[in-house]
Amino acid sequence: MLNIKSLSKSFDKGKSFALKEVSFKLEKGDICAVVGESGSGKTTLVRLIAGLERPDHGSIELEGTEVSSIKKLVSPEKRKIGLVFQEYALFPHLTLLENVLYGISKQKNKKQRAKEMLELVGLTAMENRYPHQLSGGQQQRVALARALAPNPSLLILDEPFSNLDAMLRMQLRSQVFEIIKKTGVTAIFVTHDTQDALSVADEILILQHGEVIQKDAAANLYIKPNSVYVASLFGNTIQLNKELQSAFECPLNANCCHAIRNESLTINSECEYVTYANVLKKTFLGDNIQLLLKLDNGEQLTVLTKERNIADKIKIGFNSKDVLEFTS
Amino acid sequence: MMKQAGSSSNIFSIKYRLKRLKRDSNRWSIFTLAIILFIALPIISIGVKLFAGPGETWGHIVDNLLLDYIGNSLFLVFVCSFLVLLFGVSSAWLVARFEFPLRKQMEWLLILPLAIPGYIVAYAYAGVFDYGGSMDLIFRWLGWDFIRIDIMNKAGLAFVLSISLFPYVYVSSRAFFLNQANNLLEASTILGVGEFKSFFKLMLPLARPAIIAGLILVLMEVLNDYGAAQYYGVNTFTTGIFRAWFSLEEPETAVYLSALLIVIVFALILFEKWQRRNIKVSSARSNNTYIHRKSSSKFSQFLILLVVLIPVVLGFFIPVLQLIYWATLTFEKVFDLDFLMLSLQSFGIAILTAMITVLFATFLIYFSKWSFLGFIKNIARMGILGYAIPGAVIAIGIMIPTLAFDKWLIGALDYLFSIKTGLLINGTLVALVYAYCVRFLAVAFNPIESTSLKVSNTIPDSSKMLGVGNLKTFFRIEFPLIKTGILSALILVFIDVLKELPLTLILKPFHINTLAVKAYEYASDEMIMEAAIPSLFIIFTAALPVIFLNKLLIKK
Repeated sequence: MLNIKSLSKSFDKGKSFALKEVSFKLEKGDICAVVGESGSGKTTLVRLIAGLERPDHGSIELEGTEVSSIKKLVSPEKRKIGLVFQEYALFPHLTLLENVLYGISKQKNKKQRAKEMLELVGLTAMENRYPHQLSGGQQQRVALARALAPNPSLLILDEPFSNLDAMLRMQLRSQVFEIIKKTGVTAIFVTHDTQDALSVADEILILQHGEVIQKDAAANLYIKPNSVYVASLFGNTIQLNKELQSAFECPLNANCCHAIRNESLTINSECEYVTYANVLKKTFLGDNIQLLLKLDNGEQLTVLTKERNIADKIKIGFNSKDVLEFTS
Repeated sequence: MMKQAGSSSNIFSIKYRLKRLKRDSNRWSIFTLAIILFIALPIISIGVKLFAGPGETWGHIVDNLLLDYIGNSLFLVFVCSFLVLLFGVSSAWLVARFEFPLRKQMEWLLILPLAIPGYIVAYAYAGVFDYGGSMDLIFRWLGWDFIRIDIMNKAGLAFVLSISLFPYVYVSSRAFFLNQANNLLEASTILGVGEFKSFFKLMLPLARPAIIAGLILVLMEVLNDYGAAQYYGVNTFTTGIFRAWFSLEEPETAVYLSALLIVIVFALILFEKWQRRNIKVSSARSNNTYIHRKSSSKFSQFLILLVVLIPVVLGFFIPVLQLIYWATLTFEKVFDLDFLMLSLQSFGIAILTAMITVLFATFLIYFSKWSFLGFIKNIARMGILGYAIPGAVIAIGIMIPTLAFDKWLIGALDYLFSIKTGLLINGTLVALVYAYCVRFLAVAFNPIESTSLKVSNTIPDSSKMLGVGNLKTFFRIEFPLIKTGILSALILVFIDVLKELPLTLILKPFHINTLAVKAYEYASDEMIMEAAIPSLFIIFTAALPVIFLNKLLIKK
């Protein structure tokens, strides 16, 4: 469906790369999340796929046709890609219905189709309003309806929930992806929030400094991250350096990197590897308590725990099955 | 890793770049280049003509007149700078910072002098200070002895130009004081720094880039002036170009003087860029709140009003009253059907030019946006440099290629089809409108560009993603959103064309006349009183939109 080969883009003539040698494939009907910190190249990637930027190198194939290469570029309006922008980008001088009609003005049953789309996102009653009369979440749904109306072969959502507050975000996230699954469209969903990615995507692509670090099914990424960076994206992770290894007396392969998730640490219970620690400081964070620990060998360590009654001296430990091992 | 490093450097090899250049060039890139070439043609032709060598009298000019031209032009630049800064910055600060009676009215009254072209202010003041002029009459009526001030010299010229041009500095520095000063001013007050010290130590240095940007516009107008300098008998570069062109009939010499003038203007522009080198984009301070006004005692409020009134009275009321007085004397003689026809002609040319110029400015902004080549965007901005180049220079620069083209065309038509024609572009409305377009492109470009920047790129991008091409997107989405910018551009160009004198004098077709040229002709023919009515027509037509635009700007 989508096939990207060694795509590169530099905005400063090769001094640095916003995107470097990115290659991946997407099957029809897949929902793929692109995850990365700001500046990792997520937005550049989707703008290249959409045709709004021009790659310096590499190719993009969409449904078997090459839309972008070093020789040829299909202009964005001919790619049949739907794009929902972070700031929604609704046309401010058009009503909701006119916004949704905009992309399908040449179709036969355009009115009907537009109304169906507004019904799909639950905004039928507001079709004659203007964008500025809508809340952020409603604008987001209109943007989705507008992008879906021409029946795109690929739908891209660029940070669609980042302008919304936490409650609305969760609600809208499940609504939006219900709609997307209903239509069966292939979708790329850009986010910096791993929660977003884990909750809706079949596959997740991790970008760092413009390069693909890992691409895998959502569950796999969590269980088998291929680097400390990826592991730390999906939850609190403690890197097991030499000092920590000696404190816990756990001999690990010296050629590899190791880490342990915070949630795998146990307090005051029996495990394979344990050590004792003095609690230097307790910080109340609501659902968790953050502990600053000083281990017996002098190492300091910060951990989170749900335990409310923490003595001044504790025993902490973990099991070997929970240790994450990375070859690089 | 080795392979990657190798391939990424390879991507930027010349061969690869050329491939991309070929891929990314589209018709919009070519159209943009074509427009820029069209706009730059007058300057290029002056550059090319330089190689033909100077005219016979060049040596004479260098020996006897050039120092005079340079000296007078520099004198004007320095004295006008001092005066416009004095009037412009002080009034901007007082209006922005203090509450006083009639403040709202003063806000726009201070812009009104812009409605009066410098040469008309010059005519009016000549009348005020002349023997038997208004001052003389008033003094005699009061029973005092008339002490005549001679204004028809370079000091007088600097005064009239400054008093008609200071609003450029007023507008640019007021915008800074209103929108960008408040946070710092509050911090300064909290630290216990007094009003005077805050202004001189804090506001003035911070506002410097804005103030100098306004000042540069003033200086370009000063160097552009012909009518006032000619009437007051001061030799400047511009009057020199006219003399070389009309009296000496030596285009080559006019070209050499033009080239020198271009060098001076570009030196000014470079200076402006240099003084801004360390300033970050002003939007970095965009979280600033609108300025809070201070209200003081009744007495000091009254004093402030008096100070602010000085430039308004000098720059607007005195010249306008003088002209109205003259107009009452000459009304029956000047105001007839011919004059009405002339006014219509003048308005017609201004409207036509405004539409064409706005069209070109819009093309330039959007075509370069639709081009994917980075350098095209930089080149597009060069199109607005025409505003820096004095009208007389542009006129000479257009004379040369159009005359050559016409000669070629006449020859070709005669040779191929045995058709005998006269000049087709040179000396016609086409050449005049072309020249206006080159000179006033920036006037249209700036308001359109600034409103277009307020439309987020994602809006047209969304339209493209919905399958709609560039042109359709422009008409359906962008045009409705930038209407106010286009309207202000139309009005601004219209006013500028109506006021324009030097370029019009050189290029206007024989049978066509404008209000500005009519006023100039009366003044040159020792019929200064008769010049009042065409002058007042220009002023009132220009004043209405000035007020309207000020409202529009404040609303935003």
